[in-house]
Amino acid sequence: MYIIIVGDGKVGHELASRLVAEEHEVAIVERSELVLQRNQDMLDAMYIKGNGVSVETLREAAIQRADIVIAVTVSDEVNMLVCLTAKRLGARYAIARIRDPEYNRSQRFLMEELLIDYILNPERTLAMEISRILRYPFAGGVETFAGGQVEMVDFRVAKPDGLAGMSLKAIARHKKHLPQVLVSAVERDGEAIIPKGDFVLREGDRVFVVSDTATITAFFKALGKNTISVQSAMIMGGSRIAFYLARILLETRMAVSIIEIDPEKAREMTDMLPEANIILGDGTDHELLMEEGLKKNDAFITLSGRDEDNIMAGFYAARNGVRKVVVKNNHENYNPILRLMGLDSAVSAKQVTSNTILRTVRTRSGAAGPNQVQRLYRLMDGKAEALEFNVGQTEPVIGIKLKDLWIKPDALVAVIVRNGKVHIPFGEDTLESGDRVIVIVRESGMNELGDIIRRH
Amino acid sequence: MNYALVLNLLGRLLAVEAGLMMPSLFVALADGGRDALAFAYSIILALAAGLLLILFFRPRERELHAYEGLVVVGLAWALLSAFGALPFMFSGAAGYFWDAYFETVSGFTTTGATIFSQVEQFGKGILFWRSFTHWVGGMGILILTLAVMPKLGARSAFLARAESPGPTFSRMLPRMRDTARVLYAIYAVMTLLLTGLLMLSGLPLFDAAIHALGTAGTGGFSNRNLSVGAYNNVAAEILITVFMFLFGTNFIVYFRLLKGEGIKALRHEEIRTYYLIGLVAIAVITLNTTAHYGDAATALRHASFQVASIMSTTGFSTSDFDLWPQFSRILLVLLMLIGACAGSTGGGIKVSRIMLMGKSAGREIGHTVRPRHVKTIKLEGRLVDAETLHSVMVFFIIYVFFLLLGTLLASLDGVNFTTSFSATASCLSNIGPGLSLVGPMESYGHFSPGVKYMFSGLMLLGRLEFIPLLVLFHPAVWRRAH
Repeated sequence: MYIIIVGDGKVGHELASRLVAEEHEVAIVERSELVLQRNQDMLDAMYIKGNGVSVETLREAAIQRADIVIAVTVSDEVNMLVCLTAKRLGARYAIARIRDPEYNRSQRFLMEELLIDYILNPERTLAMEISRILRYPFAGGVETFAGGQVEMVDFRVAKPDGLAGMSLKAIARHKKHLPQVLVSAVERDGEAIIPKGDFVLREGDRVFVVSDTATITAFFKALGKNTISVQSAMIMGGSRIAFYLARILLETRMAVSIIEIDPEKAREMTDMLPEANIILGDGTDHELLMEEGLKKNDAFITLSGRDEDNIMAGFYAARNGVRKVVVKNNHENYNPILRLMGLDSAVSAKQVTSNTILRTVRTRSGAAGPNQVQRLYRLMDGKAEALEFNVGQTEPVIGIKLKDLWIKPDALVAVIVRNGKVHIPFGEDTLESGDRVIVIVRESGMNELGDIIRRH
Repeated sequence: MNYALVLNLLGRLLAVEAGLMMPSLFVALADGGRDALAFAYSIILALAAGLLLILFFRPRERELHAYEGLVVVGLAWALLSAFGALPFMFSGAAGYFWDAYFETVSGFTTTGATIFSQVEQFGKGILFWRSFTHWVGGMGILILTLAVMPKLGARSAFLARAESPGPTFSRMLPRMRDTARVLYAIYAVMTLLLTGLLMLSGLPLFDAAIHALGTAGTGGFSNRNLSVGAYNNVAAEILITVFMFLFGTNFIVYFRLLKGEGIKALRHEEIRTYYLIGLVAIAVITLNTTAHYGDAATALRHASFQVASIMSTTGFSTSDFDLWPQFSRILLVLLMLIGACAGSTGGGIKVSRIMLMGKSAGREIGHTVRPRHVKTIKLEGRLVDAETLHSVMVFFIIYVFFLLLGTLLASLDGVNFTTSFSATASCLSNIGPGLSLVGPMESYGHFSPGVKYMFSGLMLLGRLEFIPLLVLFHPAVWRRAH
């Protein structure tokens, strides 16, 4: 596909590099000479200097043959205009990043009138991701599939689990005591592993398990984890993400307090979130945190503008026994270190934005047939992917036992959802038309079920 | 430097070179098998060396840094020239390695300077290989590799940029691979067209192919001792004149024409200046040489051919221009320095660099007179940033430095100033013939081995525009990073 990205900022660059890696044709439009000089040739993509709203610039980028235009400049308004202009000049699909909550309410209008096909609000998307993580306080992250019926939760193997030293076969034999979840992927020493039955878990492994929500909760209960959901949360930094997050959390009747250092902002927050407890002060001040009852909170989320502050405050909260700590960290390369030191849940707006957009691009790849990937999740910073497919009527593998099919090495058919029931498949099982299948692969770039499963 | 990655890439390039010798092997077989063994041995050696490098060096980190791209290009050209010299050695065409190396470098860099005073005695395989190196070297060995071997990594653009001539490099399509393919497709179609036209003008197939390859790469090797002049064929001369100009033109124009931009594509400052300089030079030389040839028509015929040949840095000749009046001879040397367009197969300083230097000088003078007026420098309607202007100046300084150094070192052989200066300029700009002892009827055979190696170096420096070779002398490059 031919994709034009307007705006070579953090997200633009990240998107471009991933799209190039997936063998798409990519052109990047950027106004700043400085940015262009820094990034040019780092990627196999065409760089065009100019304003993405200008018809001339877009024509230079061959807009008429663009399959997707992604507008991710700093300005919401420019992004909207880019989409409108691009669509009018013949682009087939337009994605705009729009962050201002003001525009949030008029989203439908914007989409219809400005011909934007997909609006992404990174702050709100990130807030939603954090709220999902808070549902499983013992897990590092959560992804949902099949319209919320299937979840994938990752956690770290610790001593009290009793899982260390057990093979996956052995875990499966404990059927009576242990609800059956599928161990779909393991991260060990920075390597992604798609495990087989004789794989033995070790302390410190990061394990991704898949099943329906009830089974997963039961599984963790059986492991002796505290599965009581989070009742109260403290948020450091009154950013836009904090606003969206507080709104979601307050809807679930959670007690929310927000620490904000700027009086003006704090007053605004009080206005917008009357049910939340807004505290004026510095979130990196330990005394203040203690005074305001940090220890009494189930969760501590750091959302200030500085990654370092977020991380340090996060460590402090974790030391003081807060059950769930989520830190916002845009430096992706810090994440392995954070995990080593016990902070499993690090999130970033950049990651969320590029993941979401990439998912949209991937689902539009090719002829968008019934066998196209429906949803896509990147696991372990992109070392593996979880893909969701619908099995179409014409799929050649229908009705054949999985053990008799060719399945891509390092790929795993994790879950089949049939008639609304979640099912962990074995070699004797078959795929049927209308099934939803979730596959874990260690490689990136798969678009069709046929790339992963074929007849011999 | 990531040694494993660089050596692995060099291995792949050697394998590509082995493939590039195949056509010459077939020509040799068709020529009654003469020199076929020389090519067979060379292919086997290049392939074996390439495979060894590929097998022994498997890089863990696969992405190039910008400077590593330059290193690969610099080393590749030196190394591929060494392996490309093997057929000359095995066939006995050249008695010494320095001669064979000079001839191959001259081929790949599209210089066309030769150490052989007689070429008609050689087999067709050898003659074809000489001219085929022009064709590959003109557009670029790495660009060809990018077109046929897509998996060279995301940053392979560094390789293309290091190899293609001119102050800036513009992609035609988003993906480097597609850009490389489009370039080679245009190049191949134009070469075939010229071959066909030359046959129509009366040249035999083999001669037409040799001269089409030499024209396309703006190289200048001929299979005749008297170059194009041997045919005394006006139609062929006109064809070659036109195509030399065309191959010296920035290829972006052809891409734009293909895209259907029509006349708009021709509104290109550099190209207009290039043709303007060419036409003025033709007019002036015609006037100046009319007395020498006796009539204006003959003068025009030789002047236009020679100007096209020198400006496009091809180096074919139809007449001994060393016998021209002094004014025309000096003018030719100046045209040697200017050279062709950026993004073409030609060499020299490049018209766009000359234009940028002229514009900078103009701005400087304007600034002195009216210090408050803000003036920017534009080329093709686009602002030229300070970085590019700076690199143009540096390029010029380096060019002049090597021009003077080469002139000095060549004089160690005791030749006169005209010879040493014009030979150095000719090698640096990848033209071929110069004046006096290296005039169009002479050869480089009489120089000592050391000076031949020096000229080989100058040709490589000129073709790669210095930087890829000069970085090899920076100690930090050789430090192990992986």
